[in-house]
Amino acid sequence: MKLKLNISILLLAIIMISCKNDQKEYHNIIDKIEAKSTDYKRDSTFSNNQFEKSDLVQVIDHETQFYVENRKNRIESYECSECHDKPVSQLQTENLGKKAHWDIKINHADDKTMSCLSCHIENDMDNLHSITGETIDLNFSYQLCNQCHNKEVKDWKGGAHGKNISGWKTSRVSKLCVECHDPHKPSIEKRWPARYNSQMVDERN
Amino acid sequence: MNKEIKKWFSLNLGNKKQSNYGCSESKCDKHRLEKKEDGISQVFDVNMNRRQAFKKITAGLMIGAGAVNSSCSVVSGEENKEKSQIEWEEYFKGNYKLMSDEEKDKTVNRLVRSYELRNGKKLNISSKGPEEDVLFGYAFNISKCQGYMDCVNACVEENNQDRASQMQYIRIHEMNDGKGLNFGEADDSFYHEVPAAGHFYMGTQCFHCDNPPCVEVCPVQATWKEKDGIVVIDYDWCIGCRYCMAACPYDGRRFNWSTPQIPEQEVNKNQHYLGNRLRKKGVMEKCTFCIQRSREGNNPACVDACPTGSRIFGNLLDPKSEIRWVLANKKVFRLKEDLGTEPKFWYFMD
Repeated sequence: MKLKLNISILLLAIIMISCKNDQKEYHNIIDKIEAKSTDYKRDSTFSNNQFEKSDLVQVIDHETQFYVENRKNRIESYECSECHDKPVSQLQTENLGKKAHWDIKINHADDKTMSCLSCHIENDMDNLHSITGETIDLNFSYQLCNQCHNKEVKDWKGGAHGKNISGWKTSRVSKLCVECHDPHKPSIEKRWPARYNSQMVDERN
Repeated sequence: MNKEIKKWFSLNLGNKKQSNYGCSESKCDKHRLEKKEDGISQVFDVNMNRRQAFKKITAGLMIGAGAVNSSCSVVSGEENKEKSQIEWEEYFKGNYKLMSDEEKDKTVNRLVRSYELRNGKKLNISSKGPEEDVLFGYAFNISKCQGYMDCVNACVEENNQDRASQMQYIRIHEMNDGKGLNFGEADDSFYHEVPAAGHFYMGTQCFHCDNPPCVEVCPVQATWKEKDGIVVIDYDWCIGCRYCMAACPYDGRRFNWSTPQIPEQEVNKNQHYLGNRLRKKGVMEKCTFCIQRSREGNNPACVDACPTGSRIFGNLLDPKSEIRWVLANKKVFRLKEDLGTEPKFWYFMD
């Protein structure tokens, strides 16, 4: 009996000693993150930031909450109805000349999928419209993209796609889909790299 | 004896009889008290042998002679005297890790004043410490990166890297499709239109390991992991032995083989002591997650510069942060995970 007790005490002691290295308190970083997580409050007042809260629009999803910049405030000739006060077919006959966005060509999916009318509707130019004819505010244009690109929008809402422009400490402000992807030609063009490291090449040759 | 407190000055070199190993509680406390002491006592209160003493005396004499020469000279102006006073105090300052807040402020002020005397411009050097409940992490989307290299440009400009040797913390590797993550066959010095067909791109930099091998090997403890997870270097304590460079399995560290050259107008004046302040010849440097930006709540320069949104930065201890969403919802992996270095830099795909 005494021997058993001694052995168990010894075992206990060994375990205690072997775990005492505080440098390796956690087995891996994920354990550490989970153990130390707190309900960290990100600064929602944008006090130390370039953003005015009044110029932001909140995106609310059941999982995440974040902001995008008010798009309508930044579209140069909004509201659209200031010019589009008549149907397009009528405006075209009036010989107004090339005034605005006359050069837009749709290069987004194929003709069977996309036309101007997939997003715009003639009698309500100030808003966007979904496939089902629902009105979508220009500030929430991601809802329109979400009709086909729901996977990308899900990633965007979570924070894996797109771009955080407010930093990690203040509440998240993200870029809208259309701030990187021109909705009329959404793919991003090839270009040359911003830099070439000649030194590295020299050193290796 | 705990590794944490085994500093070079407590090694008791020269006097082998009074060994410090296996110290009792009271002795350890004494060492802890020693930590609080200022830079001058760190340098002077050390047992040393004759050879070391000669080295110290010679180095000290050379600086001292210079200082005395200019400070006592009738010819040299007030500015020169101040310069040599700063040089003197900078020479005898301690390891940043052991400095009190007051000492940190003093050395920062000296560095600012010294630059002002030399270049007539005012720097803004911060010594801001880590915040509670913050652990920085980074995620990189290899499906999104297109090899545009805007991150590299932003990094060089932000962090005052040597323009002459074209030092870069970030490398973008152009990998061949179908060959996996093959760094041997990847090209990290490409210059052609990107994205090139049949290739994908992957960026590497310092991964700020949670168990950093570079910190382990530093013989003078000039590099360490801060509370918020950033692995930093005290450029004034680094002796340039490059052990850390050899120990890093990720090619994350860079060495200044010559004095860094940066045109005056391009110097980023918004600096941090442990970050982008101007380095000298013979010291190590590396990515610090732009400590001067991240400790202020901003994203690192590479994250802000990336035109594709491949780079995600945030607080790992905030369950609602974007980085945590990526870890929870994407298939993430890290490089050489089996080494146990625990990098805080994850890769993922769409």
